[in-house]
Amino acid sequence: MIAEEPRVDATRVTELAQSLETELARLIVGQKALLRDTVIALTAGGHVLLEGVPGLGKTVLVRSLGQTLSMSFSRIQFTPDLMPADIVGTNIIGDTDGRREFHYQAGPIFANLVLADEINRATPKTQSALLEAMQERTVTVGTQTRPLPSPFFVLATQNPIELEGTYPLPEAQLDRFFFKILVPFPSEGDLLEIARRTTGDSTPQLKSVADAGAILTAQRTAREVPIAEHVLRYAARLVSATHPDRSELDSVRRYVRWGASPRGLQTLVLAGKVRALLEGRYNVAFDDLNSVAQPALRHRIFLQFEAEADGITADRIISEILEHTAKEPASK
Amino acid sequence: MSSLEAIVRELRKAARRALGARYAAHALVGAVAWVAAVMILVRLVPFERRAELAVLGIPVALAIAAAAWLIRRPSAALLMAMADIRLGLKERLSTAWERRAESGPLDDAQRHDAVQHAARASLPAAFPVRVNRGEATLVAILAIFALALALLPNPMDQVLAQRQADRVSQARAAKAVADAKKKIADSGKPSPKDAQIQKILQDAQAKIHEADSPRKALESITPAEQQLQKLADPGTPALQSSAQNLANALSGTAAGRSAAQAISTNPAKGAQSVRDLASQLQSLSPKDREELAKALAKASQQAQNSQMRDSLSKASSSLQSGDAASAAQALNDVASQLDSLQEQENTDQAVAAAINGLEAARQGLAAQADRDANGQGGQANAGASPSAGASGNGNGTGTGNGTGNGNGNGTGNGTGTGGTGGTGGTGGTGGTGSNGSGTGSGSGAASTERIYVPGQPVPGQSENDPTPLGPGQDVPLSPYTQVIEAYQQAALDATDQSLIPGSERDLVREYFSQLGEPRAAK
Repeated sequence: MIAEEPRVDATRVTELAQSLETELARLIVGQKALLRDTVIALTAGGHVLLEGVPGLGKTVLVRSLGQTLSMSFSRIQFTPDLMPADIVGTNIIGDTDGRREFHYQAGPIFANLVLADEINRATPKTQSALLEAMQERTVTVGTQTRPLPSPFFVLATQNPIELEGTYPLPEAQLDRFFFKILVPFPSEGDLLEIARRTTGDSTPQLKSVADAGAILTAQRTAREVPIAEHVLRYAARLVSATHPDRSELDSVRRYVRWGASPRGLQTLVLAGKVRALLEGRYNVAFDDLNSVAQPALRHRIFLQFEAEADGITADRIISEILEHTAKEPASK
Repeated sequence: MSSLEAIVRELRKAARRALGARYAAHALVGAVAWVAAVMILVRLVPFERRAELAVLGIPVALAIAAAAWLIRRPSAALLMAMADIRLGLKERLSTAWERRAESGPLDDAQRHDAVQHAARASLPAAFPVRVNRGEATLVAILAIFALALALLPNPMDQVLAQRQADRVSQARAAKAVADAKKKIADSGKPSPKDAQIQKILQDAQAKIHEADSPRKALESITPAEQQLQKLADPGTPALQSSAQNLANALSGTAAGRSAAQAISTNPAKGAQSVRDLASQLQSLSPKDREELAKALAKASQQAQNSQMRDSLSKASSSLQSGDAASAAQALNDVASQLDSLQEQENTDQAVAAAINGLEAARQGLAAQADRDANGQGGQANAGASPSAGASGNGNGTGTGNGTGNGNGNGTGNGTGTGGTGGTGGTGGTGGTGSNGSGTGSGSGAASTERIYVPGQPVPGQSENDPTPLGPGQDVPLSPYTQVIEAYQQAALDATDQSLIPGSERDLVREYFSQLGEPRAAK
């Protein structure tokens, strides 16, 4: 039987996630999947691209997350005239003991939790500055490279309908986001609840439930979750099936221009591990992979123009792949 | 670890049960499909042991399924993975089993979690014993299909009946040949060529028995007959004629009357009587000697065999000159030739008996070959009946080989026609013999015999056209008109050379005239 207790207390991760979700739910009405995916990305150490029309609470979500976590939080409103230095910081001339010399002034990216609001409104040059920092977790200004604080979590938002004056993110840069989460319009019941909560004389005050150390511990614990070989193969088959030259699905061959990268597989597995912990399990199940497949892969599948013309979305392609990919292991 | 192994054991047991039921269902499908396939096959191909073949598939299908069931042992990893999926254990068991030897930070917790969840689940439910509805439906459909095929009339039944009739026919033909062999062996008249005759019959019997069909069996009969005919001595008729003339000549003498009777009865007895006569020459009166010398001279003149003629001439001249010793020596030579004649006759009789046996075999085989050609071969029992086979058309050919012993010895071949309704044809004509009447036994053309009469060509066909051969008739046939003319000429020549009363000669002429009528009428 089990001889000793686990060296990592995975239950704390579960409790942390549950308390985060509970606390955020006090302010964010409905949107359980949004909250779950956000927490998964946070626990996995990945960045999130939130896409939704204005007014759905994207910014509120990120701000609320900042309140529930005892970590530094900064918000960057992306505009066309925003410069890279406005994000990563710059060297300015200062007066020190009567001497004028350059001092580095850190940008808003030096925070544990960064909200990049309307990221597609900034120029590609500025977007690249943020995305490089997201990937490298360091910032280089002049000749000096400075590490970003840990944990470092970027939540970017973008509006899918206002395309004028925007700069859509290039495919290579989209790949750097762990999840792309679509923020759905609330149901009628949720709308009523939003109205009740936000139009009264008091607004719920969120309390901090975790600090940076707890988040870093959760991230390390998540990576220890075991995954069976046949489940891992299933994940690989899912990613492979997004490629038109490897998939047996007609829709993939017809509508997909390019499938998910290996980074997509990494995301799928890591997110699956976190979800398993959040579900109180110590191993990755097929369900975990299926559950995180949409946010993990939808921004990594690039469709043909024909798909757009036929109203085919990446989510639909992913759903078909999930439906047709075999789960049972081969006979041994 | 031990708990995981216990889980594997329990899953394996349940999987064996479920697989056993599944393979049993597979075996049932296979067996019923086999039976249905056999039922279809036997409608396309004639197969006699269809029931055995159909039944054979059932144990074979069961054995294959049992072997597959025994051989197939799902791995523990597979069992765990299947149980995860079917019991909704979220890959707990498969992960725990795969990492049973790992000691990562969460491995112990994961194994503990897996065992706990397995304890709450009903593991045998992962491999339930259940009947596949699709397979059950398939079995029912195949069973109904096979049953229907088994009950509906099978066109191949007729073919099988024909084969059976063919075999019966060949067995009977082989038995006819075997009977001929036995008859020759039991005849009590050994001839120097008995061994050869037996060998020819033995070969023919084997070929008939081994032939694929009555038609093929028929092909082995004619060569055997030709071999047998080669064994017969062509000089026998001349010697027989000479012996008969001697008997006729001696019958008019007082001293030689008993020898004449003995010669007429049997050449061997005749030889002994002639020897006795030779030993009594000294005691004969001069008148008897003269009378005997004249008779011997007359017989010498009529003898067709040169040795016989010389011996008789010498005996006659010696008697006339009073040299009884030389005459006795010459008569002893005559006696030796009569002994030789006896041996030749024995051989000819054995050959005739053998040919008769082969002909009997030919008739049965030809009748069956006819039925096969007409698609009636399946009437095995009816086909075996000589009368049934000829209903409708009563034409048949009959050949007869006859040997006759009388004052003359003769061999003859006869043909006969059979009438409608099975009336027997006229028998073969008897053998011809000089100074004697040959008796011939011809197998008359009964209803089972067939006649091929090229003398009656179909409109538009020339008489010279080759006659179409019937089943088993693998030798070219001479036109009837030629054969009958040759026979007529030979018969008339023989009557002219014999001491036959005029009325008998007229009878022979009338007989051949009647045979020639169809041609004249045409």
